[in-house]
Amino acid sequence: MNIDPVFLLHQTLCGALAAAGFGVLFNIGFRSLPWCAASGALALAVRTYCLGLGWNLEAASFAAALTVGAAVQVLRARADISQNALDVVGCIPMVPGSFAAKAILGMFALTSTSTTDASETLITAVQFALRVTFTVGAIGTGLAIPTLLLRVRVTR
Amino acid sequence: MDTIEALISEDTGSAPALEPLAMVALDAGRMLMESGASANSVDEIVAQVARGLGADRVDLRIGYASLAITIGIGANGITRMREVGHLGVNQRLDQELWHLAERVAQGKLTTAQTRAELSRLAAKTPRHAAWVMALAVGLACAAFGRLLKVDWLGTGPVFLAAAIGQLVRRELLTRHVNVFICASLVSFLASLLGGLGAHWAGSGKIDMAMIASILLLVPGVPSVNALSDILEGHPTLGSARAVTVAVILIFVAAGLWFGQVLLAHLI
Repeated sequence: MNIDPVFLLHQTLCGALAAAGFGVLFNIGFRSLPWCAASGALALAVRTYCLGLGWNLEAASFAAALTVGAAVQVLRARADISQNALDVVGCIPMVPGSFAAKAILGMFALTSTSTTDASETLITAVQFALRVTFTVGAIGTGLAIPTLLLRVRVTR
Repeated sequence: MDTIEALISEDTGSAPALEPLAMVALDAGRMLMESGASANSVDEIVAQVARGLGADRVDLRIGYASLAITIGIGANGITRMREVGHLGVNQRLDQELWHLAERVAQGKLTTAQTRAELSRLAAKTPRHAAWVMALAVGLACAAFGRLLKVDWLGTGPVFLAAAIGQLVRRELLTRHVNVFICASLVSFLASLLGGLGAHWAGSGKIDMAMIASILLLVPGVPSVNALSDILEGHPTLGSARAVTVAVILIFVAAGLWFGQVLLAHLI
């Protein structure tokens, strides 16, 4: 394990800032923004820690989303904010938007007549597309599991 | 979008309570959908409202562009459908609807009072000022930039480009410009500004600064909702959301591509 604490703090703060910023965009009230920031900070801290353990991005994102989903289930009574808002906003900084853009740009590049390394471009674009798909899938699944488990417990 | 009053007929026939009840429950569901709620949340709240107003049976079909409900009281039943508008994100309205549903479930409101509350929430739920949103989006994208390993020299330009992009996006959406066209235009503008700014600032991460500047356009809530809807038993809605997310991303990438091409000629 090789995790630089300064890097971990940096990633955590950036996660908090990104989640709070997107909280404003999603019209969350100012009083609830610290909860959004805490949610984003938790997500990025767990993901960075797991990446430091050598996990791949998809597994680390899944663990982070699962942690955020579980924490929101425990804390939602304290925060005057819907569960859906809090856990989704927290995981927004983990949505791999840059990979998505690179994947589509790679597809665009394939149609160019001047493409010299078409197979390499294709493989890179597909790799990015798969990483986007799997990472978003991991985030969505990680967030859904605590909710689904709670629902089963309640209905029994 | 028609007002709820315009959709309720005068002649309610043999089941006088059903028509307004169904339409009020549908309107609560429509507002939730337009606020970015997942299918399960919509299902839960609509059932809570309908049962709180006296329904014995509630069945809801949730589509991407419409909701259909069947309400039953005793031997009577009615099925109605309601169009759903643009699926945006408004968490404060979403939260207010949850509070309203709790009050309705406790029997504190009649159908007419619930309808009036829905109209009040639609008109009065506050939104952040445009400059506050622009500032917040700028900060968020700058933080994204740092997560994407953009150097400090490139972080300031990302902040400015994203903030300007958000102001332009809000202006375009206010003028009812198509959301996909809007995504391309804002992507082009923000990426170009982010790239030019990063170049002038002497950043070594111009490409990543351009990408960080457009991350305000990535539809994060719909993409997470798409998967959770599928996992929670709403594959039709989840698939529709996923397709919409994919098309938005294509338009965003097209704007970014044009930005990159133009930047290559400018620097």
